[in-house]
Formats: sequence, C-alpha cells, structure tokens
Amino acid sequence: MALLEARNLIKTYTVDHRAITVLENVSLSAEKGDFIVIAGSSGSGKTTLLTLLSGLDHPTSGQVFIDDREITHASEEDLAPLRNRIIGFVFQSFHLVPSMTARENIMFPAELMGDQDADGRAGQLLARVGLSARADNLPSQLSGGEKQRIALCRALINRPKLLFADEPTGNLDSENGKMVLDQLIDLKNEHGATLVLVTHNPEIARVADRVISLKDGHLSG
Amino acid sequence: MRHMPMIFRQVRRSYKQAGLFVLCVALSLTTLTAFSGFARSVGLALLKDARTLHAADIIVRSYDPISDPLAQAIRRLADQGRIVRANVHEFYSVVRAPDEKASVLSRLKVVEPGYPFYGQVTLKTGRSFKQVLAPRSCIVEQTLLDRLGLKVGDRLQVGYTTLTIDDVVTAEPDRPLDLFAFGPRVFIHSSDLEALGLMATGSRIRRVVLLKVTDPLQVDAIAAQLKQASSFEGEGIDTYLTAGSVVKRFLDNFLFFLKLVGLFILIISGLGIQSTLTALLNEKQRTIAVMKTVGATGRFITTHFMLMVFVLGAVGTGVGILAGAVVQGGLAWMMTPFLPERLDLALSWTGVAEAVLLGFAVVTLFSFLPLYRLREMRPMVIFNRLPSAGTARWPYYLSSLLVLLFFLALVLLHMRDIRFGIYFVGAITALTLAAALLAQLALWMMKRLPVRSLVLRQAIKGLFRRGNATRAIMITLTVSLAVIFGDHLIEKNLNATFVQSFPADSPNAFFLDIQPDQTQAFSAAIGHAVQFYPIVRARITSVNGETIDRSREGRKRRDNLSRVFNLTYREALLDDETLLDGDTLFRKDWTEPQVSIMDTVVEMQHMKIGDRISFKIQGVPLTARISSIRTRDNQSLSPFFYFVFPDSVLKQAPHTLFAAVKVSPGQMGPLQTSIVSRFPNISVIDMSQTIGILARLMVRLSRIVRVFSLFSIAAGILILVSAVFATRAERMVESVYYKILGAGRRFVLSVFALENMLVGLLSSTLALAMAQTGAFWVCTVKFNIGYRPFLSVSLLMLAATVALTVTVGMAASRSILAKKPVTYLREQQNE
Repeated sequence: MALLEARNLIKTYTVDHRAITVLENVSLSAEKGDFIVIAGSSGSGKTTLLTLLSGLDHPTSGQVFIDDREITHASEEDLAPLRNRIIGFVFQSFHLVPSMTARENIMFPAELMGDQDADGRAGQLLARVGLSARADNLPSQLSGGEKQRIALCRALINRPKLLFADEPTGNLDSENGKMVLDQLIDLKNEHGATLVLVTHNPEIARVADRVISLKDGHLSG
Repeated sequence: MRHMPMIFRQVRRSYKQAGLFVLCVALSLTTLTAFSGFARSVGLALLKDARTLHAADIIVRSYDPISDPLAQAIRRLADQGRIVRANVHEFYSVVRAPDEKASVLSRLKVVEPGYPFYGQVTLKTGRSFKQVLAPRSCIVEQTLLDRLGLKVGDRLQVGYTTLTIDDVVTAEPDRPLDLFAFGPRVFIHSSDLEALGLMATGSRIRRVVLLKVTDPLQVDAIAAQLKQASSFEGEGIDTYLTAGSVVKRFLDNFLFFLKLVGLFILIISGLGIQSTLTALLNEKQRTIAVMKTVGATGRFITTHFMLMVFVLGAVGTGVGILAGAVVQGGLAWMMTPFLPERLDLALSWTGVAEAVLLGFAVVTLFSFLPLYRLREMRPMVIFNRLPSAGTARWPYYLSSLLVLLFFLALVLLHMRDIRFGIYFVGAITALTLAAALLAQLALWMMKRLPVRSLVLRQAIKGLFRRGNATRAIMITLTVSLAVIFGDHLIEKNLNATFVQSFPADSPNAFFLDIQPDQTQAFSAAIGHAVQFYPIVRARITSVNGETIDRSREGRKRRDNLSRVFNLTYREALLDDETLLDGDTLFRKDWTEPQVSIMDTVVEMQHMKIGDRISFKIQGVPLTARISSIRTRDNQSLSPFFYFVFPDSVLKQAPHTLFAAVKVSPGQMGPLQTSIVSRFPNISVIDMSQTIGILARLMVRLSRIVRVFSLFSIAAGILILVSAVFATRAERMVESVYYKILGAGRRFVLSVFALENMLVGLLSSTLALAMAQTGAFWVCTVKFNIGYRPFLSVSLLMLAATVALTVTVGMAASRSILAKKPVTYLREQQNE
C-alpha cells in the first residue's frame, strides 16, 4: 500500500442550511520520497484537501490511509502519535508557539516523544538552516523567513515519513521564499520524506514530482 | 455615529467577558452596600425603639451608690412631678433550689414598681408583669426552671431569702439580646432587696435609675440638669437617644469589622474590574484596530468603550444593589441572636444613591487604565500580532495613587476614625505590597528553575504568557487568602489556648464578693487553703494630672481607662508575673503611695515609672506613683490585676475578696450549691462553662466574617477567569499547536491544569506564609498567648485553594481545550 492514500474524498460544509461541496471525489496516493504539489487557485479546495490528507479534518465521505492505517475517522487522541511521529507540518503562517524560543519550538515534538537528544538534534537542524545564532530568540524576534525555517526544522525533528506544507512561502518575499523552498526540498531529500505541498505558485509546481491540480473541488488535469 | 447599537452588538458577542465585568462591579458593591444598609437599619431600629430599648426617657447608671447631690436632684424633680422614677439593681448571684441540691448563676434584676416605663416585660401566662411581680415573689426565665428542675409555684433560694416563682419571663424591653448572658434572668421586687443580703460593700452591682419625664420636651433639659448635679464621675446620665447599649456597642464594633471586610472586597473586586475589562478589550482589539485604520480618533474609541463600560457598570451596580439587599437579609439571619426584634431591612433611597455613586466611582477608577491604553494601541501591532511596544508607566502610577486615595477616603468615610483609617489602609497597602513582592520573587524563581519535565516546563511558560495577569491574580489571591487563613489560624489558636487546652492546673471556679470575715469559713468549706485576692473597685480620674476624657476613651475599640477597675494590694509578684520595668514591685525609697501596673495598661495609654495615676475609690481620691510595670504569662487562667498597691495604701479601703480554685468537673455543681447555701452573697463562676459560651460566640462571629471573606475569594476567582478569557487567543494558539505537533489531549490538559495549579499553589503558599507570620505576631505579641501553626489545617487550606484554582481555571478553559486544530486554522485563514 502507498504511504499516503486518499479514496473518493468528499467534503461538504453546511452554511445557512445550505450544503456547499468544496471537494468532490478526490483520490490520490503518494509513495515514499514523493514530492507532490497540490495546485489550484484560491478557493479551489487545495487547503481543504491537505487538512483531510493530514488528518486535521474528517471527510464527509471517502477514506484516508497513512502508513497502512486508516485515519478517516480517527479521534484526536488516535491522531496525536501519528502527527508526532509520522507527519510533519509547515504552515503559511508559521504557527510557532509564541512563548517558546526557536530552539524550544524545534525540540517540542521530539520532547513529546520522549527523545533524550532533542536538544542535540535541534542544534543540528538549526545549524543546517543557518540559524544557530537565533536559537534563543522568541518567534516575535525573528523575521518571516527565519520563522519559516524554524517551522521547517520543527516539522523534521522527528524524521517524519510525511511532510505537509501549506503555502510555505506564501508569507515570504521571493528571496526568502526561494531559500525556504530550497531548504525544504533539501531536508525532505536528506530525510527521505514524502512531501505534499499546497501552493498556487507555478514556480514551485515546476520542481515537484507530481502536480495535482484542483478546480472548484475537482481534480483537473 | 450611533454608539449604542454597536455597543449592544459588541456586548452580545463577548457576553462572557461582559458578564464577568458586570459580576465584578456587582461584587464590589454587594458587601459594602449590604453592611452599610444593615448598619443603617440596625441604627434606625435602635433609634426608633430607643425608648423601649432603655425602658425610660433618662437613664442614670452607676456601679456605686448614687451620689447625694444627684439623688437629691432626682428626688426634687420627682417631688415637683416632673419625673417618675424606678430604681433597678442588676447583679449576678447563684440561686438555689429549696432542697439546696442544685444551683445556678443567674442575672438578678431587682426592680421598683413602675418598671418598665416603656415597652413590656412579657410573661408566659400573658399576665401583666406589673401585677404579677409582688414582694416575696420572683419571675424567672424558663432555663432556670429547667436547670434546677423547678416549676412555677416552687420556692427559690436567692441570697439569704426564699421567694416564690410566680411566672416565666419571655421578653424584657431593656435587655433584648442575649449577647453575653451567662445565666438566666430572675426578676425580684425591690422591697426584697434588703432581704437578699447581697448588697455588701464592694459587690459589683449595677445601679440604674430609670426616669420617665412628664413633659417629653423636657427630656434633654432635665438630663442636663442631672448631669450638672452629679458630682461623681462614675455616674452615667443619658437620655434614651444618647445612651449606648451593650448591643449597640457590640453591633457597632462588629459592623465596623465587617465594613473593613467589605472595603477589602471592594478593592479586590476593583482589580477584577480592571482585569475583566482588559479581557473584554483584548477581545475587541481587532475591531479597535480596524476602527483606527479607517480613521477613528483615540478620543472616539475611548468614548465608545467608556460608554460600554458605563452601560455595563450600570447593570453591575443594579445587580450589586439587589445582591446587597439579599446579602443584608442573609447577614440578618446569621446575626439573629444579636439583633433587635423589629428590624426593618428595606432598601433606603439614600442607600441606593450611595451605592450608585460608589458604583460609578469604582467603575471609573478601575476602568481608567485599560481605557487609557486603548489610545496607545497601534493597528499594525494587532494585525501582525507584534509584541506591543513598552507603554508609559505614568498612567499606572496615577491609577494606583488614585485607587489608594479613593480607598483611604472610603475608609475614613465609613470608619470615621482617621487614625484607624490610616492604619487600616496602611496595613492593606503593606499586605498588598508584601504580596506583590513575594509574587514577583516567586515568579522570578519559577522562570529560572531548571525543569526537565516538558509538561511542567510548558506550564511554567504559560505563567509568563503575553497578557497573562499571573502576577495580578497571584497578588489578589494571596492577599485574600492571607486574610482568610490568618483569621482562621488566630481563631484556632485562641480556641486551642482558651477552650480546648484549658490548662490542667488552672483554676476553673472563681468566687466573687467574699467578705473579709468569711475567709476562714470559706477555706474550710473548700477543704484546703485558698489564696484570696482583695478587690477594691475604683475609677481612674487622671494620669499625671491630665483628666481622663471618658467619652473619648469610651469610643476606643479596645480596653480603655474609662471603665471601673479592680485594684488589689499585695507585697509580692504572683507566680506567673515578671517585672518588665523596675527592679522591685515597690520602691523602698519613695514615701508617697505607689502602684505597680500591668503592661496592658501602658497599651491603653503610655505611662512610665514615676508617672502618677489618680484614682477615685468609692468617692475617696488617691494618687499613686508608678513603681514598676509587670507582665504575665497569659496562657494560664489564674487571676490577674492591672493595678497592685502595697498593703499600706489600700488595706483600709472597703473591699471584697476573690478566690480562684481548681475543682474537678463533677464536683463543680455540688461545690457551688454548698458554698452558696452557706454564703449566699458569694457568686461562683464556672470558668469552663463561661469559656464555652465565649467560644461558641467567637465561632459564630468568626463564621460570619469568614463567609464574607469568601466574597474576596470570589473576586480572586473572577480575576482568574477573566485572565483565562484575556489570554484566550494565546491559550488557543498553544492548545492547537500542541495538538498539531502531536500532543495528546492528556498532555494539553496537564499543561493547563498544572499552570492553574502553580498559580493556586504559589498564591496559597505565599498567603499561608503571610498568614502564619501575621497570626504568630497577633497571638504572641497582641494576645500574649502561645502559637501553634496548625500544619495539617494549613495544608488542608492550601489543598482546597489549589483544587479550587485548578477547577475554576480548567472550567474557564473548557472551550479552549475542546477547540479542534482545523477549526482554528480555518478561522485564521478567514481573518
């Protein structure tokens, strides 16, 4: 079985007693080491698809499997170890814990797992992204690019099999965006992880192994 | 722009924070409004029924026979038909069953026909008191019949005579409350006074002459005339309006204390108002930022939110007034045994107006800082969640100063005692500063604590979360808990010292009014040698030539120099006494009269060795020079005297003797009966029983104080809840991020619970440390008793506080904890 598999995903929201379908019959799969880009214009349902694939949300119907386990209707408690060990997230808005320093943010998932060498590994990752000097800074003291590189390190500290990135360069200028993307791909390759990245940037789509385009909730092309 | 519709929408959207704000305003007013209203109602009731409560227009009181000039003036007025009088004598004596097998200490009231001029003495049979009380008869309280196994119609031995019980008294006008009543009432006709044989010189008898003035308009004039005629300082002459009663004095003192509690709650709730308003405005930050970016001026925004604050403040004031009325009723219910029967607790317009003004002042004062900070809010900081730049400190200092001045003004207004007001405000300020300092220190240490556990580390980080009012919560909780813990520890220590651990070797039976010629027979009756203490009753007229201002002294809330003192004479220190100042009890090189004083006298008024005190002993002046200052180990209940003279000075003065004896519990009743049947003039006080009564009273009053102190805890809890609301966004971020990064619900719960636990634990530990220190000081220095820290009780209080903080904190965080990551992420995207 593929590392990530989605079968016939449908997602419907009810707004003012009216059902709105944002994803319709989407199926996909990803193998170990794949780099898949989910592309589409704003409102096409790409972020919704990412949340369903990563188990952040439940589909209205369909199934999602990660590493041979069905997570379609898994509870938050069941998903917690999966998110901690198998999955890594990188978000457009970084989502760093404001009260933790850069190093603490990176260490956190490893510490949750009980890793005794969390500090050492965080140090290595910081060095890898060139932010050792910023290790003890709080997120509020970092630039956007720095924040995203810290988020990248955090996503990778537990050596996840799957990396989900939602518009990781969306809040960055082109120079920082490029640097983050390069580091993301390099680190993914170093760790042998599968990367599923949501973007509307065609430049990024160009370097992916596979591009899944979404339009109005349907797979296109 | 129309503000009001927008305000209502904003309040509806943030109903939880708005509700908390309303609750804080209500809480700040509830207790003080209730206590003030209650005090006013009691005052009015006492004033309205003042004639009845004193049973006369003019009341003359003395512990000595009425002086000749005064007695003549009264006689003259009576002869002129301007007054009608009735003499009343009140004293304690042990009365016995006819078979002399049982006895009970009773409150005797010997009254002349005419008593009472106003009000009714109600009898069980419904008959008229004035017709029933006849010579050779008495009217008693039901408890006396129960305790002696007697019934109406039986005989009762009182002093040296025997009377017939004619009826049972159920109520008397001028003794409405059983505040410190140590025995049942016995009414006796004045014609039997001599036959009782209890009027020996030196006995403690309260003499009262009740006067009814024929022309009601002449009451003040006649009272003034009598005051002029009185030559003896020990005679009190008052009209029914000016006469203070034991009840009034007790209620004044107790309500004074309750008002202090009310003021304390007001300040704590004020901090709650500040904190909840901050939470409310935090929630409106984005709205404010949007308003600013589209050109709203700081003035517009401040006005808008000020309006919101006053709308909510008005609702809070209304709720506070209503809650005050309910609390007033509750207080009346708790204090039923101490209150006049006809107490009208209706809300007065004055009370409502006062509460409205107070509510306005409280809301304005405590809203100043959060509203001022709106002006400094920068849109980009909010939109981009940037750390806010440092704010100016002067508004904070100005706000603190205004709060302090407001508090001082309120204290002075309610206490009407400048010195005490300043002490109180000073003490509360010191307590708050100490709590702030300790909280700061504890947080500083927490921040630097090397912690391995991830959960604990995150919980500690939570304490320093942006916008978290951890320090304010800790200060509030610490101060409130310190007061509550301290009160409880003092009560426990007093109870342990005087009630539970009644020292085994301490005398427990006090014998009063023993005549000098009865000493040998009395010792024989007791069965062993007894130490007698001579007692000479006297008043102090001046110290170092400065006359004692009795009315000023009488207003003091502690023991003072205006009362009658029991003097004694002996040449040596007692076993439990030591000299604090002076080498010997009396000086051999002084020829003038000397007196040794107890250190407690110095606390009433500063005195030193060599100072001169003038006494009046049954009309005879005596000036003595202070030769030494003594202190005593108060843990023993043996007799003690404030003023001790050499034998040579006082031996010739008319006196009675006092003896204190240790009696085994089973022997108390028979010994009392046997002594009193042989010596009817002697009164016996069973100290164990007396202390039991006092302990029950203390527990009751203490419970009332504790109930109201809980209001300050409620304010602390509101602050805790508001802090959770104020940092809702930050907590939400943490909770969601933890979950996204793979933390289970248990981890998130543990971090939040531990954070609340730390707040509770730190606050209650600091409070306990302060309470232990304070209670130790009060017990050892002020009460002069030993101190026990009651560690198990302390730990229990600590655990209860922690449990409460965790429960409240977690309940307030419920919606945050339940938030799904995807919902939060979607909300973020939509913003």
